[in-house]
Amino acid sequence: MLDLRTTLDHAAGDGRPDGRPVDPAPDLRRARTALLRRSRRRQAAGLGVLALVGVAAVGVALDRPATQRLPSDTVASSPVDAQVALVAATLDAEPYSFGLTPRGWTVGGRTPTAVTIVPEDGTTSDDPDDFRGKLVVMLDANPLEGREVERDGRTFRVVESDGYTTMATPTLPGEREGVVRIQFPDDAGWDEDAMLAFLGSVHVGDGAEPGVG
Amino acid sequence: MRMTDRDAEFVGFTHDHRPDLVRMATLLTAGDASSAEDLVQTTLTRLYLAWPRVRRADNRLGYARATLTHVFVDETRRAHRRWERTAEGLPDRPAATGLAPEDRDAVHAALRDLAPRQRAVVVLRHWLDLDVAETARVLDCSTGTVKSQTAKALAHLRAALTPDPTTL
Repeated sequence: MLDLRTTLDHAAGDGRPDGRPVDPAPDLRRARTALLRRSRRRQAAGLGVLALVGVAAVGVALDRPATQRLPSDTVASSPVDAQVALVAATLDAEPYSFGLTPRGWTVGGRTPTAVTIVPEDGTTSDDPDDFRGKLVVMLDANPLEGREVERDGRTFRVVESDGYTTMATPTLPGEREGVVRIQFPDDAGWDEDAMLAFLGSVHVGDGAEPGVG
Repeated sequence: MRMTDRDAEFVGFTHDHRPDLVRMATLLTAGDASSAEDLVQTTLTRLYLAWPRVRRADNRLGYARATLTHVFVDETRRAHRRWERTAEGLPDRPAATGLAPEDRDAVHAALRDLAPRQRAVVVLRHWLDLDVAETARVLDCSTGTVKSQTAKALAHLRAALTPDPTTL
C-alpha cells in the first residue's frame, strides 16, 4: 500500500539542492530591494496625487469642450481611494488596445497571450515573463471565478489574493471568445472601480491568443 | 548597511526555515528545482515586505507555507507560459533523499501530471497533514472542492505509483 506521506517526504529532498549551508544574504538583498522599490513607487504615486489635486484645484479643464466631456475622462478616484489616474487616451499594445491609460505607466512587454504595463520609473524587471509589480492583461480559456461585480452592463469577476488583484470578464461579441483578465499589485495605487473601468476598456484584437493552464 | 530588527528576524527565519520552504516548493513544482527556487525567493520577499504580519503570526512557518502556496497558485494562474515551459524540465540536480533517483523521478512525474491545485491539495493534506477546512482556507476554496480534488489526485497517484503486477 502506498505510504504517501513518506513517499512525498523523500521526494521533497532535503531542501538544499546544492548541498551548501543556507546563506540568507541574497534573500535579504532581494527583499530590501523590493521594499525600496515599493517605497519609491508609493512616493511617486503620492506625488502624482498631489499633482492631480493641484490641477483640479486651479480648475484646469481638459481640451475637449465641456459638452463632449465624458464622466470617464479621468477615472481617478479620490486621493484616499486611489493614487494612479486613468486618463481617456488610447493605448495600443497589439494585439490589445486600451481606451483608458494609467498615467505614468507604459507598455513593458507584449506577446500574443499577454501584455504587461509597467511603471515608467523602471522599477520593475525587464523580463516579460516576470509579472511582479506589473499590470498584466491576458486572454485565457480558464473559467471565471471570484466575486461577481456588475458594471456598465458587463459582468466581472474579482479575486484578491496575497497582494494582487485579478479581474476577469468574457470577451465582447466580435472578439476572440474567451476571458480577458487583468492582474495588478494591490500596492500600485488603483481602486477597484478604476480598474473595472480599465478592464472594460480593453479591446482584444484578432492576433490575441488565449493562454492555457 | 545597518541591520534593522526586521532584517535580523528575517535572516534568522530564513536560516532556520529556507530548506523547509524549498522542500515544499519542490513538491509543488513536481521536482523542478529552478522553479522551486523562484517560488521560495518570491515567497521570502513577500514575507519580508509583510514582516509586521509575519511577526504577529502564531506560527511563522505556517504563515510562510500559506504564502508559498499562494505564490504558487498565483504563478500558475498568471504565468501559464512559464509553467508550461518549466514543467517539462527535470530537476537540475538530484537532491539527497532516501528514495532511489528513479523512484523520486517517478513521484515527481506523477505530481507533474496533476493540475497545480490538485498538487497543492496533496501537499497540504497529505504531506503537511492539514485538515480539509484548513486546506480550503489556504487555497481559498470550499471544503467540497478540497475533497473532490483530493480524491482525483489520490486516484491518479495510486495508479501512477503502484507497481503494475503484470511487470513483476
